[in-house]
Order: sequence, then C-alpha cells, then structure tokens
Amino acid sequence: MSHAASSRCRESGIALPLTLHFLLLLLVLGQAVYLASRHRARLDATSDELYSLTESTRRIVGGLDKRLVVEAYFSPKEDLPAELRNTRVVLDNFLDEIAQLGKGKLVVKRFNPIEDKSLQDTCTRVGIKPIDTQSATTTAVGVSRHWQGLRLVYDGGKQKVLEQIAPTVSFLAEAMVTPAIKEVVTKERRKIGFMEWPSSSPGQQGQAIGWETVRTMPDVAKRYDFQNYKDAEGALVPEDVQTLVLFRPMDITDRQKYVVDQFVMRGGTLVLFSDVADYGLQPNRQCNKVQMALDAKDSEHKWQEQLLHYGIDQPGQIVADLAPQAGQAYNPMGGGYEYLGLPMQMGMVRQVAYPYFFHAVDGDWSQPQIANKLASSSGKLDEEQAAYFRRTLRPGIDTDEFLFKTFRQFKRGPGFYWPCLMRLRGNGAQTTLPDGVNGRVLLWSSPLTIIEDPQASLNALMGRDLQSQALANAAFNQKLQQRLQSEPRRQAPLMMELSGTFSSFFAGKQRPKKASELKEEEDRKRAEEAADKPVDGNQAKEPEVGPPLPKPDASADALAKAPADPEMLQQVAGNARIVAFADSDFVRDDFTRGLYRQQGGPNSIFGAAFFPMLLDWLSQDSDLVALQSRLPKDRKISLLGDQLIDTGDRRDAEKQLRTTRSSLVVANVAGPCAVMLALGLFVLFSRRAQKRRFLEAIGN
Amino acid sequence: MRETAVVFRRELKSYFLSPIAYVFGVLFLGVLMYLAAQQQIVEGQQASMQAFFGLLPIVFLFFLPGLTMRLWAEERRSGTIELLMTFPVRIGSLISGKFFAALAFLAVLLLCTMGLPLTLSNYGSLDWAPVIGAYVASLLLALVSLLVLYAFGFPRIAEWIAGFLPTWAVDLLGGISPYKYFESISRGVFDTRDCVYYICFCGFFLHANAVALHYRRLKG
Repeated sequence: MSHAASSRCRESGIALPLTLHFLLLLLVLGQAVYLASRHRARLDATSDELYSLTESTRRIVGGLDKRLVVEAYFSPKEDLPAELRNTRVVLDNFLDEIAQLGKGKLVVKRFNPIEDKSLQDTCTRVGIKPIDTQSATTTAVGVSRHWQGLRLVYDGGKQKVLEQIAPTVSFLAEAMVTPAIKEVVTKERRKIGFMEWPSSSPGQQGQAIGWETVRTMPDVAKRYDFQNYKDAEGALVPEDVQTLVLFRPMDITDRQKYVVDQFVMRGGTLVLFSDVADYGLQPNRQCNKVQMALDAKDSEHKWQEQLLHYGIDQPGQIVADLAPQAGQAYNPMGGGYEYLGLPMQMGMVRQVAYPYFFHAVDGDWSQPQIANKLASSSGKLDEEQAAYFRRTLRPGIDTDEFLFKTFRQFKRGPGFYWPCLMRLRGNGAQTTLPDGVNGRVLLWSSPLTIIEDPQASLNALMGRDLQSQALANAAFNQKLQQRLQSEPRRQAPLMMELSGTFSSFFAGKQRPKKASELKEEEDRKRAEEAADKPVDGNQAKEPEVGPPLPKPDASADALAKAPADPEMLQQVAGNARIVAFADSDFVRDDFTRGLYRQQGGPNSIFGAAFFPMLLDWLSQDSDLVALQSRLPKDRKISLLGDQLIDTGDRRDAEKQLRTTRSSLVVANVAGPCAVMLALGLFVLFSRRAQKRRFLEAIGN
Repeated sequence: MRETAVVFRRELKSYFLSPIAYVFGVLFLGVLMYLAAQQQIVEGQQASMQAFFGLLPIVFLFFLPGLTMRLWAEERRSGTIELLMTFPVRIGSLISGKFFAALAFLAVLLLCTMGLPLTLSNYGSLDWAPVIGAYVASLLLALVSLLVLYAFGFPRIAEWIAGFLPTWAVDLLGGISPYKYFESISRGVFDTRDCVYYICFCGFFLHANAVALHYRRLKG
C-alpha cells in the first residue's frame, strides 16, 4: 500500500521536492533543538528547588582559587545499559553546570577507558572501580564492564576519587560531588577536642558504650580532627582547639572541671551532651538504671554548681513527653526503628508508646486551640489559664538557625532518649543568668511533659512474648497518662545555648592541681616524712642546721615534662559559648549504630545525621549547609489531620481513616464523571427541547 | 484569525454535541481517576501527583486516537472534505481551528481531574509548581500526540513518511521521544530546550498537515 502510494507521488513529480522540503525542515528544527539544549535557560519551580544547584555548590565552586581538574573516566554512553544511561545524563549535565560555574578554575576532562587499555590500568591504580552488569539474551548470558568514576585533582596535588558514581537525580549528583570538592579544596581539618565518659554498663555485645561512631563518621572525620583531652595529667586544652565536646560527663575530677572552666574562660565553645542518669538496655530491652555519679569521689567542687555558675540549671531529674507527635518515630519500616517497637513478621515493627523516647515537635504550642485544650478539664475552659498558655508556651523548635533547616522539613528535632531536665538558671519563668551572659532555648518538649526523679527501672516491655509485652506497655503508659493528669502543663528545654563573658567558677578558689603536680607533692611529702623520721637522736636534728634534702628524681622528671599551668583566667575576655543538650544517648554508639535494630529499636537515625550538622553550625561553616538541607520537604498525607494533643482509641481512628479514604477515592472518581454526565444530559435535554420547539413551530 | 475562530467554534461545538465525547470523557476520567486515586490517596504517603502523571501518557495512548482520528476521517467519510476544500478558507486556519478545538476539549477533561490535586493539597502539603508544570507538560504531550495522530489521520502523510524516509531516519524519529521532554517539565523544571522541542515538533507536524491539504486542494 505504501509502495503504491509512493510511486503515485513520484509519478506526480512531487516526491523529490517534498522529500527535500521535509528534510530541510527537519534539519532546521533539529538545529534549533540542538542550539536550545546548548544554551539553556531553566526555571526550577519546585518549592524545594530540588533540581537546581544549591548555594553550597555555587559558593564552593565559585570560590576556587586554584585549578581543580575533574577527571571523568566514563565508558561511552551508547554502550551503557539503560539503568546506567540515565545516570550518565544526570552526571553529564551536572559536570557541565559546575564547569560553567568554575569559570576556568574547574576543568572537566573526559576519558574513555574502553577505548584505551592503558586508561583501564590508570583507573585501577587511582582507585576507580568498574561496574559489571549482566546482560541476558535468549541464547547467552554475558557480563559487560563499564566505567563511571571521577578523580578530582586540586592544584596538581590533593586528590579525591569517587570510585563509582551513578546518581539518578541531579541533587544526588550534587550531594556526591560537592562534598568531595569541598574535601579536596579544604587545606586543613578543624581541630575539636573532646572528653568522653563511657557507660559503666557494657553494651549488648560486651563492649563499653562510648561516642566513637559520630566522631568517626566519614562526613565528620574528613573535615574535623577530634583529639581526646581527657588525659590522666589533666593538661589544659591547647589554644588552637576552639571547640570542646563533653560526652556525658560523670565522675568528673576537680582538675577536669578546671580544664573545662579555663577552656570556657579563653573564649572557647563548649558542647555538652549531658545526662543525670545512665540507663542501660539489657536483653529484651529492659531499661534499668546504672550507677552513675556526676562528681568523682574525692571531688571538692560540684559539677552541677559549676554549670549553675555558668547559667545552666541541671537539677538531676529526667523528662518524659506524652504528646503523641513527640513520640512518633521515623522510618518504622526498614533501616531500624527510631524508638521502641515490637518486631513483627517480615522485618516489620509495630510501634509501642514509650514517652521517655521523644523529640521536639516543630509546631507552635501556643496556638489558641492547643492552649484552650490544655486549659480545659471535663469540657470546661479556664480562660485565665488558656491565656497564660498562649503567652508562655514555646514552639518545639524555637529558632531559625540553619542547624534545624533539614529537621524543619521533617517537622521535628532529633530524637532523645531518657533526656534530663536542664534549664536556664532562674526562678520559674524568670531567668537570672550571670551578668554579661545571654541564653536561649533552641528545643523544647511539648506541654504534656512529666518531670521526675530517675527511677531504678523504666521497663515498658515486660514479658517474654509479644502479646504480654504489648500488654505491659499499655499498662506502663496508662500509669503515665494518669500521672500526667495530676502534673502541671509545662515544657522542658532540650537544647540551649549560652554566650557571653562568663566568669570563672574557680575564681577565688584554689586551682586544682595537675596529676604531675599532685604526684610531686606526694613525693615531696613522702620525702619530708622520710626526712622527719628520726633514725637516731643526731639525725633528727640535721635538717635544722644543714641544707634541705634534694628532691627525688621521679618528681623532678615529671615537673620537667609537664609545662606549668598558666595563670588562672578569671573572666572571658571576648565571647565564650556553651551549647548544652539534655541528652547524650542520642549520639551514643549503640543507638547510632543500630545495635537494637533486630529487636525493634531504639535506633537513633537522626542523632547520627544531626552531629555533623551541629559541628558545621558550631564552626559557622555554612558551605555544605544548603546541601545538607537538600532533602525534599515532608509532604505526608494526613487524612485525619494533625492531632497534637488528642489521644483517642486507635481502632476508632483506623475505622475513621478507612472511611475517609474510601469517600475521598469515590468522590475523586465519581465527581468528574458526574460532571461530564451532567453536562451530557444537559446538552441532550436542551437539544430535545430545541427539536420539540422546532417541530412545534413547523406544526403551527 | 477570524476563520480559525469560526472553525474552532464549529469543531468544539461538534465535540460537545456528540454523545461520543461524553462516553469518551466518562471512560477517560473514570479509568484515569480510579487508578490514580487508588495510588495517591494513601495515609502517610507523600502528597504528590507522580502516579497520576505517570499513568496519563498510557491512558492517552488508548484514548487520544478516538479523539483525533475523527478530525479528518469524519470529513472524508461524510464527504464534507470536498466542500471544505472549496471554501475560501486558508488551510492554516482549517488546521489550527480543528487542532485547537481538540486541544480545548482535552483541556476541559484535564480540568475535571483537578479534584485530585486539591484533595492532596488539603490533606498534605502538595507542591503546586510541579503539578502545574505537569499539567502543562501533559497538554504539550497531548498536543504532540494529537499532532502525530492528527497528521496520521490524514493517511497520505503516513504513506509519504513510510515511503520516503529511510529506516535509519524512521529510527531516529522514533528515538526522539516526547516523553523524555515531558518528564522534565512534569517535575516542575521549565527548560527552554523542552519548550523549543515542543514548538518544533508541533510546527513540523502542523506544517506537514498543511502541505498534505495543500496538495489535495491543488489536485482538486
């Protein structure tokens, strides 16, 4: 049929001019599309700007002072399997974009290792790994080898290799390449000091529980150099360390308190992950208190008093939050469960309520409807109390700092585990901070908070089988609910920041001595005692007339080794900063490593993510901040609405959910169809009426 | 312009006066909305129209031929094409009038689906920019699909293309998928490359249709 038609066309003599005409047209249009793709202008209209380069990438690439060569070892696109071909398009676009941004300082060089065997050796040498994919046809199964890796070389020296890179979307390409660029152009890592006091309760695998995981995460280790300053000698923290992190101080000696004090006095940033009680998770996730004392045995000064001196009141109580949203865990399926859950079949976890594990909710608790609800009892509203709540209640995330940019998208802060009560020094609502010190709370619990002394046991999952554990959990929570009724409505601070010209806690007090000084003193005492000891009547009189006894050799060595303490600083000359968290467990190893994942949690997913953000925020390194917050906003569908306060029957809620969903589906399907049908019927009847009128007109 | 408007009004009216349009509309909306609503309205799921716009090209594949093939075929079947060719109307006006009428009918159908994004926006925090982008992209996709079918509805063009172009060129044309450009706009990124592509695509097929009609008129 088509041949016959073509011959007809040829006969009519239009075939050639038509062909030429369309070929020329195609050529022109093809050229137009090609030019448009070379000189593109694009507008990313998504509210999260997910498909645009972030400010982070622009700042880092735009600020290059030396040449950065990006060596792209890529197999030809045509040879790639379909799943890799799409990632190549994304990667090529991204590399073109950053090359344009770099204005000559960033050069992309492309190599094809398939074409040149020596390049394959180069790839292997520099650490780029091939991607082997399987392909199957009806007759054979084969493995094909592809290359898609990058090597970044900055100023001909420092290198970074991304051995395999296959981003499916542009922001993933950015999240992979930009930190690598940042790493390669960063000259030296920032020093951070730390002191940690591992738990006396061993973890489930017998190891001591510390805070190593968050310090050694690749994102952190690449840019920050952690050094331990909790040494036996008690040396002061060196001048070049600007940040000191304390992981759950306990058994703190006076000298350690002095080291911390002097660090603050010289204007450093002190980060405090604090707890007043240590809870261990025994088998079956029984939460039992482990013996813990804040101060060392022979300590003269109290740690709580020292904190109070700086403006932090830590009275030794713990906090539970009963608001349902505060305990709503992230990622209940796969990747571990954030809070407490019961493991079900197929790796699923059923959430159980445990108000000692919770997070700050990114919501305004002073909203009138919430305040009214809180001020109502048995349907009666206490206007005065409602007004008080509207005036005093604070949002869960009470700051606009970039630290919480990512968390705001999830409408929450990081999850805390048995947090302690920690507040700004003061009397009730009135804070009385030291002169020259400003303080603010960044994270708050909900108003449905219980504050109590740490109990010996906070077990919510008693019993061997799942059913008895669920029943025990229900009883545990019922008790807490009953207690909540008799408690006043109040919020507990979970994170706070103080800054200003602190004064020394040790001002006017004797300076605690270093270990070497104590040893020297002890040796001297011993020597004196030995000298005083009368061997016979003549020797006893010797010291009074002769020269003093020589010092023992050991203490002389120690004194020579240890530098003398500088004069005690009494006041901060510039500005010091203390950032305090009411919890240390959310960044501790067993929680961040997900050791309890198989049992249904807890697994501090947000703790591990929060720590690098905190370090960047503390050092005001905003270079990667835009990239960190490059997570799409949480747009979860909530068919029953946000229930910040209500805690109704679960079965009723499920029934209501099913009904709402069904009615919405029906409305969405039937609605448009009904509109079309109604329009059709309207047209039909009006046409009939028109016809009738016409016929009547003819009849008349 | 006036001629185009006259043809457009006539065509659009014929759509809404024919019962086929309503049957087509109810089927199109019923199938599309049922599949999309089942996938989208789920508690705890992200509020997004991805499933809807993922289904749309597939649904178009089944429903658009019904909408477009009749544009010229109906004229030929009823013999009005001969009459139409004798009217003092420019070919460009004929083509654009018919084409925009089909597009307007499709736009009305797409407008009827707005209940779904409104529902999602009410129960979740829907990002409207990609939704609007996707609606625009859907119309553009429908537009090029319409044009291909519209042009192919006039059989001589299909015959010419199949007859004249070598296989590699047909393959090349097959490779330039409008869906590729649909994806970019549907996620909320407006790119000049995509816009130029759609303009060129539409321009080519409208022109092809005009050439076909022109030769038919010359042939008498």
